Amino acid sequence: MKGFQANEQTNIIEINRKKCKGCDSCKSFCPSAAIQGKYGAIHSINSEQCIFCGQCLINCPFGSIEDTVDAVESVIAKLRNQQLTVVATIAPSVRVAIGEEFGMKPGTLATEQLYGALKQAGFKIFDTNFAADHTIMEEGSELIAKIRHYLLGEPAEHELGALPQFTSCCPGWVRYVELYAPEILPHLSSAKSPMMMAGALAKTYGATDIWHVRPENMVVVGVMPCTSKKFEASRPEFSSAAHYWQQRGGTAHYPDVDVVLTTRDLARLFKKLNIDLNQVEPFTDADNPLAQYSGAGTIFGNTGGVMEAALRTAYFVITGQELPFLEYTPVRGLKGLKEAEVTLKDAKTGKVINLKVAVVHGIKENLKPVIEQVAAGRSPYHFIEVMNCPGGCVNGGGQPINPMGTSWTGNWKALLPWT
Amino acid sequence: MAHYDYVEKAVNVSRREFLGMVGVAGAILWTGAYAATDLVQDRNKYIKMRAQGIYKDDVKAKVRQSHHNPGLKDMYQKFAGQPLSPLAEELFHTRYIDRTRLG
Repeated sequence: MKGFQANEQTNIIEINRKKCKGCDSCKSFCPSAAIQGKYGAIHSINSEQCIFCGQCLINCPFGSIEDTVDAVESVIAKLRNQQLTVVATIAPSVRVAIGEEFGMKPGTLATEQLYGALKQAGFKIFDTNFAADHTIMEEGSELIAKIRHYLLGEPAEHELGALPQFTSCCPGWVRYVELYAPEILPHLSSAKSPMMMAGALAKTYGATDIWHVRPENMVVVGVMPCTSKKFEASRPEFSSAAHYWQQRGGTAHYPDVDVVLTTRDLARLFKKLNIDLNQVEPFTDADNPLAQYSGAGTIFGNTGGVMEAALRTAYFVITGQELPFLEYTPVRGLKGLKEAEVTLKDAKTGKVINLKVAVVHGIKENLKPVIEQVAAGRSPYHFIEVMNCPGGCVNGGGQPINPMGTSWTGNWKALLPWT
Repeated sequence: MAHYDYVEKAVNVSRREFLGMVGVAGAILWTGAYAATDLVQDRNKYIKMRAQGIYKDDVKAKVRQSHHNPGLKDMYQKFAGQPLSPLAEELFHTRYIDRTRLG
């Protein structure tokens, strides 16, 4: 296989030859033209080109595309092992979608039921929303350092990448850049994605200060709305916690995030353990500092959410005042490319900065002009958020399959005016 | 030998009847088109519903900005110091690879 590092997951999304009808629907969702096969013939996916986003999987009208990495049984085995501390880190989009697998309406916010079910299954909780807040602090500080250096002419304290800065939370997007646009790699924020930050933090600070266990006896399970996260977790550079402990006398080697379950996988796990989200006892985990999160952390799941969260913090850090309008609507909604401009008055020097930002979702449809501008060096923006899936992570490839029904005939309820 | 007179049977549709038939056919087409566009529009409704769920979580959160997250402030105080500190660089930042050069 070309384009993979050693021990990386090379095959996640696969087309079942027996079920494929060759209808070409998947090709119309694939951002990287990784699907081969003529119209009418059985299709197949070329993993070397695939970014594992899973959009084809959730949109296949025949349900013939499958996620081949199934870790449910191994996670159950780890939960039963009393020696191990199993920590689940749950992404923002999981809590509004997992209910669909238990008959709730799409968009039902089920945080407390989800916490309760995780507790009943034996997980400890490290909310990825906490890590999203953490990402904002790191990625936002990086952006502010770049603004201070490039726009205000102050000397740089750190090694800085280039402006405009791209977000780096979406593993599909990161792999897309690495495969198809390596010339813009210096523009990617060096901050890890929230899941990887959660993994590194859980096995260092979490192990010593929160759960008081040895990091090698911990299993961090990422619960994500995303199939590409399964690839991200397998990247060999993400073992910083083991590296941290090796500098302090440790000898074991382990990844930061051991295993990733999608929203669908977690629902399957609950069902195998006979846990029903509708009947579980709600749980808030109020005493756990790693389950505390802000509203800015939770909106990471929507397109424009990372940008909105970053603006709330960047505005405060630069101007010294809170953003007067917390709900920043220009970056919300399902428009392909959203642009906005924020005027910031630097509290230290009194200089005025016009911060131009852009939000892109749906790499297939909307990305090309934006990265062409950046590669040519004439991009008008300072900060660009990119999410691969249309609508953001809420519509990720690991989410429950379209609750309105992927089948056209099964969709008759949508016709009734009173439903 | 029988003699056949091949004359077409004349169809007598009055103007009124013709308009009536056009009306019925039009109504059927209209309903079908309406149903089809409705289906297409509704295919993406679930994305908006999930997005609304997330914005609801934001509105009901006690703290709405990342720099005010109490658990996070605690973590920086006890562990990582501040964003972009050497320890934060080591644990929370990464680098990327040009995969076109990987064999």
